[in-house]
Amino acid sequence: MGHSSPLPGFTMDLTIFLQNLAGGLLIGGVYALVGIGLSLIFGVLRIINFAHGGFVVIGMYAAIALYGGLGIDPYLGALIALPLGFLLGLLLERTILARLVDAPPESTLLATLGLALIIQNTLQLIFGAEPKSVFVPYGTATVEFGGITLSVIQLAAMAIIIVVIVALWLFLTRTETGRAVRATSQNRLGAELVGINTLRIHGLVFATGLVLAMTAGILLIPQISVTPVITGPVFTLKAFVVTVLGGLGSVWGAIGGGLLLGVVEVFGASYISNGYRDTYGLIAFLAVLLLRPQGLFGRTVKRV
Amino acid sequence: MISEKRTSSQGRTAPRDRTTWHLVALLLLLVAVALVVPRVSGAAIVIAINVLLYAGWATSWDLLGGWTGQVSLGHAAFVGLGAYTVALFAQRLDLGLWVSVPIGALFCALLALGWGAMTFRLRGSYFVLSTIAVAEILRLVAINETWLTGGAQGIFIFSIPRLLGLDVFERSTQLFMALFFFALVLCVTLFVSRGRLGYRMRAVREDEEAAQAAGINPQRVKLTAFALSGALTGLGGAFYAVYLSFLEPHDIFFLPLSVQIALTAIIGGRGTIWGPFAGALLLVLSREMFRGVFDQANLLIYGVLILVVVLFAPRGMLGELARAAVRRRYAGDSRG
Repeated sequence: MGHSSPLPGFTMDLTIFLQNLAGGLLIGGVYALVGIGLSLIFGVLRIINFAHGGFVVIGMYAAIALYGGLGIDPYLGALIALPLGFLLGLLLERTILARLVDAPPESTLLATLGLALIIQNTLQLIFGAEPKSVFVPYGTATVEFGGITLSVIQLAAMAIIIVVIVALWLFLTRTETGRAVRATSQNRLGAELVGINTLRIHGLVFATGLVLAMTAGILLIPQISVTPVITGPVFTLKAFVVTVLGGLGSVWGAIGGGLLLGVVEVFGASYISNGYRDTYGLIAFLAVLLLRPQGLFGRTVKRV
Repeated sequence: MISEKRTSSQGRTAPRDRTTWHLVALLLLLVAVALVVPRVSGAAIVIAINVLLYAGWATSWDLLGGWTGQVSLGHAAFVGLGAYTVALFAQRLDLGLWVSVPIGALFCALLALGWGAMTFRLRGSYFVLSTIAVAEILRLVAINETWLTGGAQGIFIFSIPRLLGLDVFERSTQLFMALFFFALVLCVTLFVSRGRLGYRMRAVREDEEAAQAAGINPQRVKLTAFALSGALTGLGGAFYAVYLSFLEPHDIFFLPLSVQIALTAIIGGRGTIWGPFAGALLLVLSREMFRGVFDQANLLIYGVLILVVVLFAPRGMLGELARAAVRRRYAGDSRG
């Protein structure tokens, strides 16, 4: 529980304010990474992926299995886990979603919901229901900037996220395949007419979305614990909140939405009530859905 | 009015004469349960209660999700609201079930009206997302407002007066309560789906703009369906509170319960009278069967079944059967 006063007094509380802001932005970066994946998948495949939180959880358990089972550091383990995740994404897209390309949107929504249940419950069968975490030796290290304390692994996570986002941006804007992805998201039929194999693009984007979510999971697992059946839905919801705040289908919107959600959560928890931490994002989400369905940062109204 | 008549003459899947058969089937179900109950062990009664409870919930959900076409993944909100209202009114205020259960259903109808008035402007996936958010907010309120709900530690229900002279904590009494709940929901659905409201609901489901052009007010139809669906689900929630005799926000308001209710109806067949019941039968029984195998991971079976349905039988079990029957009758003329 933080401060109960809604109007923080100045001098001392400025530090608290900045501390909260930094904490919010750091967790928001991870939310952004989760949201970008969901937004990419929505933008290109036009599906709402209910399994997205499950992908985050797959990343967490991959790190747990590699660290707990084989003693491989989570960050190094990512080099093994992420390529496997990419293959899994291709497989899931090919076996399930590719068959539903022309089905009504509800069918794909239900299919990903089924996928989410399968992921959560399979992980629970393998790893059990009790919370698990990874304790890396450097997990508790902190650095101080003018009275603000920041966790080293959170800072490292932020650095990695920035690198990933820049790489993704370069891929989408500077490569032929990236241009094909954007073309497919703008107009699938048009993209096909100019010779783009949109089904392959779908597979690529779905697998990329899965890998981005897994990366977020791997970055988070030294900081928080995971249970398959609860953590999955929690992150699915957070990803929805992020993408709706930013505008469904917009990658830049997801970054803004993620940072905003992180800050809103931390400030709400600190200045209003910690118990309602998860509510602030949901209320913002409902408000945006009702008042500005194109998202805070979106320009065009898209009907889904 | 003219256009409405045209809609009704087109609905060839719902001839009035079949209502009798549905009622006969329901009567047979009642007789079967009444005959079997005294002879079976406690475990079988619990399974039967679960089948009827989920069948009732799924049928209630279907009024909105199947007949009106608005998929909700937030129906646990009504279960929770109905359950907590009964827990608080019947126990803390000592008002008895005859008063507190209708109050719970009324609260649910009001919640649905407010909720729907806000969110029915949203279409498709956006509407689904908003239903999840509303239910989640209620869950967090139930966890945090400890003075009212007992918070995360939950609330025990132990002192509820007898109902018609029967102990409501007895499993056999509860079975009849579940049976009553399902029979009531089924009759309401039967009545609604055959009436003017039912045709309007289907018109809105098929094409909202066209329905509006035909003089139907889609917003009002959706709100009516939502209020009805919510009140009935809350009724099931009220019974659920007695059945569990222990309420915990985490169990009763949580997304997985909403998902189970929706999937039961979808797997069985949306917009069919007996589809949700078939879904409940299949899902509760297979959950029981695999309980030993999957332990806590019993929603795995839901996940597998929903994928099978989406990929191979998009109309659900009974939906596909009905379509096959219609196809046979009209030999070639499609669109069942």
